[in-house]
Amino acid sequence: MYVPLSLSDISLWLAAMALILLVTSELLYTMPDYSSRVIIDKKLLRIVALGCGIGFIATIILLYS
Amino acid sequence: MASLSKLVKTVSFRIGALLALSGVLSLIVSIFNGSSILAFIGLGLTFWGLIFLSLKPKKYVEGFMLESVAISEYSTIDRIIRDLKCEGNGYYVPPFPSVARVPEHLKALSDSVVFVSAKKDFRIPSVESMVEGRFLLSKSRGVLVSPPGFDLLIQIEKQSRISLAPMDPGQICDILSRYVTENFSLAKTMQIERSENEVTLKLSDSMFTNLYYPEKNLISVGLIGCPIVSALACALALSTGRFVTIDKHVLSPNRLNLEVSYRLI
Repeated sequence: MYVPLSLSDISLWLAAMALILLVTSELLYTMPDYSSRVIIDKKLLRIVALGCGIGFIATIILLYS
Repeated sequence: MASLSKLVKTVSFRIGALLALSGVLSLIVSIFNGSSILAFIGLGLTFWGLIFLSLKPKKYVEGFMLESVAISEYSTIDRIIRDLKCEGNGYYVPPFPSVARVPEHLKALSDSVVFVSAKKDFRIPSVESMVEGRFLLSKSRGVLVSPPGFDLLIQIEKQSRISLAPMDPGQICDILSRYVTENFSLAKTMQIERSENEVTLKLSDSMFTNLYYPEKNLISVGLIGCPIVSALACALALSTGRFVTIDKHVLSPNRLNLEVSYRLI
């Protein structure tokens, strides 16, 4: 019984998630006309996106150190 | 408990819970099976489920509610103006910057006020009357009212974590228009043009445009402006240290655009 994901798998997954969330967050911030109709906590979305990005960088450092 | 049951009923909560549960299930199965594909699917579903659960909609009100709440305040000021037969203009009195050191008994001067004069000729209200927080002024002939946009300016100061007092008018106008359009979504666009003694504000699709409709017959809106117009007047009085008055306002025929001219005295 083991988790069938290596560190590089998690790194790739984090990169994909960070990319999707960062692009979404950036679009919401740069298009106020449209984002004003989307009633979600944009700040929290940005924090999660940045968290994923930082997580990805951390895994890269772990992989290549 | 009531708020929890309300939350459970929302669509985003149901979708989030469904995604998170199926994700956890998929992760557990992947651990027993040793399947990395299932683990990826589980990880993704759990992550998006948690995002759906945590990205709750913000508290919001419908735009027309803002106008409904504001209209009673303007009606009250209208009654006062009619009762006192005020024929003059509204003058935004420059406040002391909040960062300035003033004696304790003069602290009230850091609050912005609008002086609505009874006559066309303008006489500056005395410092004592402003310090004492008086409403009716017998010597200067007029009334002192709180500007409807002052709290909006304070909110902008709080959210931007910048003190607006030491800034020049250009910077304040930039911050104000950014917050009004992007952060608070109170108007679609907000353009400010400045000359030495005059400032023109162009608002499109503002939440408060309805207040300017001729059928509402609100005199006070023309004198002290809607909350956005008033916030800019407060900001101009604060940054320039001069009296600011609203010269005229023009509502476009399609009733979407509003142009307001300010004069600095």
